[in-house]
Amino acid sequence: MEALSGWWDDYFWASIVVLKIFLTSLIFMVLFGLVGATAKLSNNVVANKLASIYTVVFRGTPEILVVLLLYFGSALALTTIAQVFDPSIRFIDIPPFWAGTFAISFIVGSYATETFRGAFLSVSQGNIEAARALGLTRFQTLLHVQIPEMWRVALPPFGNHMLSLVKDTSLISIIGLNETLYIAKQATSVTGKPFTMYIVVGAIYLGFSTVITLVVMLLEKYANQHLKVEK
Amino acid sequence: MTESISLISGSVFSMLSGIGVTFQLIFISAILGMILAVILLLMRISNKWYLNYLAQLYIYIFRGTPILVQLFIIYYGLPQFEFVRESFLWPVLRDGFGCAVVALFLNSAAYTTEILRGGVLSVDKGLVEAASALGLSKRQSFIHITAPIAIRLSLPAYSNEFISLLKSTALASTITVVDMTGIGRTIVSETFAPYEIYISLALIYIVLTFIIQKIFGSLESILSRYTKK
Amino acid sequence: MSLIKSPIIQIQNIDKYFNDFHALKNINLEVSEGEKIVICGPSGSGKSTLIRCINRLEVHNSGTIKIKGIELTDNHADINAIRREVGMVFQSFNLFPHKTILENLMLAQRLVRKKSKEEAKKTAMYFLERVRIPDQADKYPIQLSGGQQQRVAIARALCMNPEVILFDEPTSALDPEMINEVLEVMEDLAKEGMTMICVTHEMGFARSVADRIVFMDRGEIIEQGTPDEIFETPKNERLKEFMNQILSH
Repeated sequence: MEALSGWWDDYFWASIVVLKIFLTSLIFMVLFGLVGATAKLSNNVVANKLASIYTVVFRGTPEILVVLLLYFGSALALTTIAQVFDPSIRFIDIPPFWAGTFAISFIVGSYATETFRGAFLSVSQGNIEAARALGLTRFQTLLHVQIPEMWRVALPPFGNHMLSLVKDTSLISIIGLNETLYIAKQATSVTGKPFTMYIVVGAIYLGFSTVITLVVMLLEKYANQHLKVEK
Repeated sequence: MTESISLISGSVFSMLSGIGVTFQLIFISAILGMILAVILLLMRISNKWYLNYLAQLYIYIFRGTPILVQLFIIYYGLPQFEFVRESFLWPVLRDGFGCAVVALFLNSAAYTTEILRGGVLSVDKGLVEAASALGLSKRQSFIHITAPIAIRLSLPAYSNEFISLLKSTALASTITVVDMTGIGRTIVSETFAPYEIYISLALIYIVLTFIIQKIFGSLESILSRYTKK
Repeated sequence: MSLIKSPIIQIQNIDKYFNDFHALKNINLEVSEGEKIVICGPSGSGKSTLIRCINRLEVHNSGTIKIKGIELTDNHADINAIRREVGMVFQSFNLFPHKTILENLMLAQRLVRKKSKEEAKKTAMYFLERVRIPDQADKYPIQLSGGQQQRVAIARALCMNPEVILFDEPTSALDPEMINEVLEVMEDLAKEGMTMICVTHEMGFARSVADRIVFMDRGEIIEQGTPDEIFETPKNERLKEFMNQILSH
């Protein structure tokens, strides 16, 4: 255990990095999921096809491959573009933080697309018609009828998506991000205790997972409270 | 352009040569994972609280931590202990392939258990009551009534888990395993052509995913024939 | 010379609670060999709960239930012995969907009575003929109509050679045109001397088949008697109300 002293700081800041990635990619994941779901549900054939391609590609490709592709690929793309303007530029770096964040947002977003789509479809058509008949606009119906109902159905699988998201952040260490696995690697070379160091990483992620699970449980309680019948 | 094409075709052949390793990883992990999952399931639905909680703890840990971390703990972490290095398991745990299989099947078992449990819980309670009323013991009822139906009900969710397993095998490349991804990454580091290589590699996985989905779909149809008039 | 029929089922002072809900209140009932009992009453009166206590699908909280002298307790050996003698037919049939009709009939015979495949098949075909659908033996339940499925369910119970058969609203889930085919089978069974306890709303059946009708309401046995007594001269107010509601259809 003494091997760990002196490393707590590093692990702490690395955990903050994980938190930052999680929160940032959470926003994008929801965005991609909603856009994808809307595209799939729309009548536009092109949007449909694109959304289908999106889900097939990102649900069928290993996550690590997506991370690698986005990181190396976009660096290459940006460098090529930049060289058009200034041929002396040798290499443009994309920070692993952003390459990684977008990568996992795309990936989990494709699962979220299916979840949101299924949840939207489960909203009873009767409720929507009733709302329109009462005079609500399409947007008002969406906001006050569809989204609250859809949210209740989507919440449990959405909780799983959040868990996937936090666990996928570990993949970004492969492209050099200074997060917990990276710290563990460094600490190992100094202390010679790889097991201890990596177990700490496991514990940190377990902690994140636990918090997310508890938050989802609370949200589910809140979302379902109108269904509880008081005798 | 022709340079690109020959690069891609050459690389694709190289990467496909790694498919044997990929398949070995999937199938060995899937089978071992299923065996462990059945054991955990029986623990999970048993009356003995300590078995139930033990199984729940296992599932909680393995579903709450990233596979990559589990992989590193086994590959980098275990050699820290002398008793591991001298145990009979050492030949397995010494190289990347063995560690990858261990990590993958331990992880898969955790998810599979919950999938099987979902199937078991979905079996119509009336059928179990009918079996009890006929005098079948709990064990007989589980084997002849619950299990066959639960397996069919679990198939869709399990097919997703199997595909997840396929994608997780790519992580083995981070611990020196020469699977398709491992070969791909080597080629990229030599040719600096990430787009062509990684996109081709992704396509290979997508095709494999598609094939797996088709196979499971057929399996589902076969097992569901008694549900159709 | 009068034959003193021995009581097969003795239910004494049974109470049952579902959490706070008092489902069965001090129930006392005796069923003799060969008797046909019909239990009727409004929804929630505890009829199903009562018969489900007899084969331990529900557990009673106090009192004793004895079947052929064996008391129903937590003892697994006793419970299994009792279940061999007590058959049950469910409202929703509960045929095993993944097994053919024949397999449905043979399963318990082989696993519980330890019969050989040939013996089990012979018995199965015999009872399939008794319920008049021998040609459906190799089909799956989903291919049969509701009435056919319920007749198979009755055959399945009969294959175990029980002393008593419990019927839990056997025709309530059937389309009207299929109710008669099931009732006919049940009437045949009654004529042959099977001891039957039947929870049902089919008053025509009760009238022609029952030796005794038991009326339950809110967890209690309110009145019991022969069909004539119950239908012609009901004494209790609640029973009279119930009869009016049922018979006014």
